[in-house]
Amino acid sequence: MSFVTAIGLAVALLVVFPYMAHRLRRRRAEERPFAGAHLVPAAPPRARRRSQLEDRALFALRAASVIALAGLAASPLVRCSRLSLHREGGASIAMAIVLDDSMSMRATFAGGTTTRFDRAMRGARELLGSAREGDAIAIVLAGAPPRVALAATTDLAAARAALSETPPSDRGTDLDGAIAMARALVSQLPQVDRRIVVLSDLADGHPDGPPLGEGESLPVWVALPELREDAKDCGIISADRLGVGVRVTLACGPGAVSAGREVTVRAGDDVVARAPAPMGAGGDVSLTLPGERDKGDLVAHLEGMDAIAADDVAAVVPEAAAPAIAIVADATEEATATGGAPILEQAMTALHLDVALRPIPAVPDRAEDLAGFLGVIVDDPPGLTPEERRAVGAFLDRGGELLVALGPHAAAAPLGATFEPVLSRGVAWGETKAKGAAEAGAAPRRADAASRFTDLGARSRATLAPEDAKSFATLIAWSDGAPLVAKRTVGTLGAGGDAWVVTLPFAVGASDLTLRPGFLGLLAAWADEVRAHAVPVRIDVGVPWVFRSGGSVAVDGPGGALGIARDGPVARAAPPVIGVYEVTVAGKTERRVAAPIPAEMNLRPRKVVAAPQSHAVGDDHASVDVSWVVALALLTFVAAELALRVDRARRPEVT
Amino acid sequence: MTANPIRAALDWGGLAPLRLRSKLVAEGVYAGGHRSARRGAGVEFGGHREYAPGDDLRWLDRRSLMRHERLLVRQFETETDRALRLVVDATASMGYRGSLAPGAKLAFAAVIAAALARIAIASGDPVGLTFLGGGPNVRSVPVSGGREAFERIVAALETCEAGGDALLDGALLDRALGGISRAARRGSIVVVLSDLLDLPVGAADRIAAIASRGRVISVVQTLDPDEARLPFSGTVRLRGLEGGTVVETDADTTREQYLASLRALQNAWERALVARGGRLVRAETSEDPVRIVRSVAEAVR
Repeated sequence: MSFVTAIGLAVALLVVFPYMAHRLRRRRAEERPFAGAHLVPAAPPRARRRSQLEDRALFALRAASVIALAGLAASPLVRCSRLSLHREGGASIAMAIVLDDSMSMRATFAGGTTTRFDRAMRGARELLGSAREGDAIAIVLAGAPPRVALAATTDLAAARAALSETPPSDRGTDLDGAIAMARALVSQLPQVDRRIVVLSDLADGHPDGPPLGEGESLPVWVALPELREDAKDCGIISADRLGVGVRVTLACGPGAVSAGREVTVRAGDDVVARAPAPMGAGGDVSLTLPGERDKGDLVAHLEGMDAIAADDVAAVVPEAAAPAIAIVADATEEATATGGAPILEQAMTALHLDVALRPIPAVPDRAEDLAGFLGVIVDDPPGLTPEERRAVGAFLDRGGELLVALGPHAAAAPLGATFEPVLSRGVAWGETKAKGAAEAGAAPRRADAASRFTDLGARSRATLAPEDAKSFATLIAWSDGAPLVAKRTVGTLGAGGDAWVVTLPFAVGASDLTLRPGFLGLLAAWADEVRAHAVPVRIDVGVPWVFRSGGSVAVDGPGGALGIARDGPVARAAPPVIGVYEVTVAGKTERRVAAPIPAEMNLRPRKVVAAPQSHAVGDDHASVDVSWVVALALLTFVAAELALRVDRARRPEVT
Repeated sequence: MTANPIRAALDWGGLAPLRLRSKLVAEGVYAGGHRSARRGAGVEFGGHREYAPGDDLRWLDRRSLMRHERLLVRQFETETDRALRLVVDATASMGYRGSLAPGAKLAFAAVIAAALARIAIASGDPVGLTFLGGGPNVRSVPVSGGREAFERIVAALETCEAGGDALLDGALLDRALGGISRAARRGSIVVVLSDLLDLPVGAADRIAAIASRGRVISVVQTLDPDEARLPFSGTVRLRGLEGGTVVETDADTTREQYLASLRALQNAWERALVARGGRLVRAETSEDPVRIVRSVAEAVR
């Protein structure tokens, strides 16, 4: 508060004058000499009491008027805690507001119910309030993945509308991506003064990452430092039903411990099981359900309070079978000289995929047996029986990924065994003059892998029928142009899974393919496709479910129906908040869960470079002209006093 | 500043001049003759009594002496004067004059007293005047008869001022009544003019006690119309003229209670006086003084 402001507010001391006037006016009732006064009983002076109340009302109005006058004197100088923008010479600005809508922004301030997101929204509204005609505003949401809530526009009403329609979410945080997106939105705008305002707690799970704003070409103002106060949080990552028990997995941010808290499983309002939380920073808790609670919807709770309440509750879902890849390889031929698992299995293991590997002896002949697999690798199969073909066809139709290595056994398929629906014709196995892959013939993204397969030391190879070769997209070609690795999509309306073929078997004796470093890259590329096609029961919040079936898709979650984004036959739906979702695909409904991201429980803020924190582009304490409000209040007080005095004048005087 | 201050000088108002006013009042009253209770020289035998040394030997009844061998003296009832002793309350409360009254209570009492004095003197009875309280200029008038006595009484009443607090000064009442109790002879008429509002506790019995020894007493309660009706409305702050009582009240609410208390006070006085053969005459200063004087004359007859 400046000295001038204090002087302005000192006008409020004049309130003593109406007080004194009121005291002077507040004379006693008129005193009369009366000989028989001792015969008159004292009585509550009803009329006088009413008069006193009126006097007080009058005094209150007069005092309020004086105080309003003081406010009027000081209001042009009053600075309140709100965000405002600095302008150079009053020029228009282009501003991108990066609004963090991640789960960490659901943390409440100490001792209150206001969340960081609420404060950030208020800050955003304050910024929009200080914007003027001609300013360009863009809004980017920093919850992963970053999204553009509003492209740059000079329509401030549209900006306010977009802001009001922004709900909080439980997503992860991607500040770097959001800032990059914000920069892209405003960097080309005609305004000379362009800036990025970050309204975030900076808790993106990487407190030791590079300082935010480092190397940015545009000024970045990380406003609202109160959002970055320290807080501790624990939450439930998963709650799986395991037979008669429930396994609850907890996670905590740095410095937070779940010790002393309790994990309960409830059916409605009834607590059916409880157990103490782990002593450390998270871990697994196993709870046994009573027999009568064998069925029904269960919800796991982490009792007690912490910064974020939303992640202390999780629906219990039947344990989802871990996504797996089936490996069908002949151990007798593919085993390394040192023994152990087939080299294909060892290679897949070396990739450290987050999917389970299940070696199986043969391609299952029932579709149900393939239902639990995301992908199937088959090494040099002797064709597929009709049952196997049906099973594989159904597997591919639902989006499964198949990798088939063709070798001498494939070429010697018995009668009735074919490779449909992958190949329509038979496969030939014969000598090859090509030593390896041709770099030029590879698909652009596979060029690097192809360079590693230029000398495979293969004496023979499998050759596809010309009709089949045409239907495949060659990823890596032999030096003579024949496909070495090819892929085609198999399934209804092209929405099914992909079938990859490799024209060399994975046996070490057949070629050096499995010995080349590129082999792991090849398998990793296929595994990526597998995971991309997977539709897991539990998924990190914000990560989309991908549906390739091409049929109707509907997803209902805690916040209502989710929007479905379609790209041809592929549909995507990203759950914005944690919870249970009812997913209906082609008329079949199942429950899926969006789980919190452990990194969001780490509420330690990321560092910020010194420059962006400067107040060159904005200020947390703005000078706000509220004179008109105070003047209006003053006029109201004066009018009320006049009305009161007129009303009192109409009343009969009390003697 | 109060609305009706008690003035230092008595507010005579429409009651002045006292002399003329009292004469007019007296002339409006039929006084009639009254028999003296004093027994002494006269023409009508009144009985015997034991001789006491000093008795006039002319009235010694010799026949009774010879018949009964006792010394008896004869007594006669005769037409004679009866002393009128006026006691005027001149305490501070008597200086009050309300808006409905022609003058202060003391002025009204003075008119009544002067009129009674004139009537008594015209009848040949001596008159004395005593003040209860009063300002520094008040002076009592001893019992005397004749034209000069009336003039002295009128002069004393004209110069009197209200003052004194009978509630705080307990000896005030004793000083006023002591002389009368001691000196008033049998058959004397004592008329007390007071508002009776600010007298100390027991004053009714003490004043009524004057009626002993053949004395006749009449008390004229002189009230201002304000005191008789409490005509105020709304919240008023009433300050007693004696005793320092201050009470804040809503007159509309408490009027009935006040009037009931006033009636209770008057009834108490009436009971005390009637028990001694006396009488209470209620007067308001707005009333015609003739009616009051006539009532007093009727009361002491």
